[in-house]
Amino acid sequence: MANEEKAVLEVEHLSKQYKKGVYASQDVTFNVNKGEIFALIGPNGAGKTTTIRMIATLLKPTEGDAKIGGYSILTDAAKVREGLTYLPDEAGAYKNMKGRQYLQFMSEMYANSKEQAAEFVKTAEEICKLGDRLNDKIETYSRGMIRKLLLARTIMPKPLIAILDEPTSGLDIINALEIRRMIKELAAEGMSFLLSSHNMLEIEYVSDRVGIIAHGHLLETGKPSELLEKYEAQNLEEVFEMVVNNSEIL
Amino acid sequence: MKFFSLLKKELREMLNIQTVCMLVLIIFMMISMGGMMNKAAEEESEESGKITICDLDDTTFSKAVLHFLESPVAGMKNEVNVIDVTSDDYAAELKKAGVKSFVIIPEGFEKSISEGKQADIIYVSRMSSLAALSNVNAGSEVAVELIGAAVKTAIYQDKTSKGALTEAETKLLEAPLNVEEQTIVANKSANVKQILLYSSLYSRSLFMPLVVYILILLGSQTMINAVSAEKLDKTLETLLSAPVSRMHVLSAKMIAAAIVALMNAAVYMIGMNKMNMNAVIEYPDDFKKTMEDLGLTFGIKTYLLIGVQMLLTMLIALSISLILGAFAKSIKSSQTLLLPLMFVTIVPFMASMMIDVTSLPKALRYLLYVIPFTHTFIATDSIIFGKTALYIGGLIYQVLFLVVCMTVAIKIFTSDMIFTASERVGRFGKKKKAHDEN
Ligand SMILES: Nc1ncnc2c1ncn2[C@@H]1O[C@H](COP(=O)(O)OP(=O)(O)O)[C@@H](O)[C@H]1O
Ligand SMILES: [Mg+2]
Repeated sequence: MANEEKAVLEVEHLSKQYKKGVYASQDVTFNVNKGEIFALIGPNGAGKTTTIRMIATLLKPTEGDAKIGGYSILTDAAKVREGLTYLPDEAGAYKNMKGRQYLQFMSEMYANSKEQAAEFVKTAEEICKLGDRLNDKIETYSRGMIRKLLLARTIMPKPLIAILDEPTSGLDIINALEIRRMIKELAAEGMSFLLSSHNMLEIEYVSDRVGIIAHGHLLETGKPSELLEKYEAQNLEEVFEMVVNNSEIL
Repeated sequence: MKFFSLLKKELREMLNIQTVCMLVLIIFMMISMGGMMNKAAEEESEESGKITICDLDDTTFSKAVLHFLESPVAGMKNEVNVIDVTSDDYAAELKKAGVKSFVIIPEGFEKSISEGKQADIIYVSRMSSLAALSNVNAGSEVAVELIGAAVKTAIYQDKTSKGALTEAETKLLEAPLNVEEQTIVANKSANVKQILLYSSLYSRSLFMPLVVYILILLGSQTMINAVSAEKLDKTLETLLSAPVSRMHVLSAKMIAAAIVALMNAAVYMIGMNKMNMNAVIEYPDDFKKTMEDLGLTFGIKTYLLIGVQMLLTMLIALSISLILGAFAKSIKSSQTLLLPLMFVTIVPFMASMMIDVTSLPKALRYLLYVIPFTHTFIATDSIIFGKTALYIGGLIYQVLFLVVCMTVAIKIFTSDMIFTASERVGRFGKKKKAHDEN
């Protein structure tokens, strides 16, 4: 934990109850460091989205706290929002807008000046690689195109941390591959990511560290290679199985 | 800057090509319909302004009556068209004369009068449509009135020159004519003056509630669609996790939906105005003064008071829709959520059009008063007929209602309820409806 002071996201004992007494997410603690890709992995209903929404200041935690760039989601939500961007799972965009209009609109939400907004749009146009299709209505886009557009939107303000909930779910192999490649390239430039996925195999290749989450509990964190070694497993799916079976909490 | 970006985006989403096309289409339809109706009404009023009469008595007195009909009365000169009626197949005779109504002075007209008896007169008209204005046979109605007046004058001059009137004669003066009405197809006579009043008030008494109704419905629909689409596409999550004020997000939505609703209302107003038949009905010269005397004309103050009411109602409808939209699970369910709102709008709308709400039994009346929209539907009435307390009470109630709705909406959008609420839509949906009604 040598680079603890470099953590851009610190999650501390975060819990959420939608209904009294039922935890959707319980006592989740982890860090994401600068330039790191951290992935929450677990099956559907494990509590990934719940945890992510709390960090993105959309849900109020029942217990615990999270800090982005040192600001608490409980007391400094406005500051936290300046440091993050969030791509919800299965997200869409405004259908009546053209791709470029969407980027323009979203850039205005994050920028402090017209010049900065223009700069954001330019960045996004490069990242999404949609070319002339940006002049078409979003209605006419395929799933993969929308995801690329949204990913570019998430990246363009160069946030401290980009939070992507299931960024590749619902995409075909080619598109998923492209998205993963984009994320890796951006992280190499120093950007931090918090991802989630229920597909444990694909996440092995994209993330620097993973957190295994099941039934709302974060059971294990570590580098994929370390975890494979520790559990003497072939892949992260096997790791997940062993972690869940060995768990004393569950 | 962020606020205007939001507002621009909301307008763009709410005013897509389809909605604009619909608006243009509606305006076009209303104008062309208005043109057609105006033309029909023009022909109708031209025809109905003429007096068509048949003199079967053919005596000095009946000729004098015909002459009297031609002389100008109260600044209006009547065009008199004398026809021959040869049978009592009146339907055929109407057809032959090419008119919708005529008056017959039957044989023995002069004789009855000189004998001091009620004189018969036959009034034949054809009903051609159920539309209120198509049944106005102004010419013949005027003829009957004028003949009555002529007879009265004759009796009066004749008798008073001979001395005092007997009791029977006084009675005769009160009702000199026995009008036999022959209505072809159906009988529906209308007092012209009342029709004039009605038609001039029509635009306000029917038209204002209609505009309010449209404002509420279209505004709510736009808002519910906007909110639920944003929620279901998860663009709302993106927006609410961005560094923008949530109040800006909310108010941009409110203002954009209000602008769209007002645009709709303006379109309907323009369209209705084109359709309005007032322009072709000729009012007597002193009609405007009569209306003023009765307090039936609208000054700026009246329009302002009604405008405030309309704005309040619209904001209430929009804030309720904002709340309803937040609970939508799908676009389809958002339409279902509109139903209770439509119900509480249509009830006072219909009620206010058909009856005087203030004359209803207490329980029913207060039930209607509980619905905030009622106060806007009855605002015109309240103002014209001086029910100031009712107007002000309604206004205060609406303001309070709006404050409550907005508070709830803000609470939902600034807390995490917007993301946790829809899971409970089954239970909550019902609760919401109950809330609307009380
Ligand atoms: N808005 C909500 N209201 C109530 N329960 C919820 C809500 N959202 C999620 N849950 C429940 O919380 C648990 C975790 O869900 P979620 O965080 O979406 O899991 P994941 O994203 O890992 O698939 C699930 O049991 C789910 O049913
Ligand atoms: Mg999820």
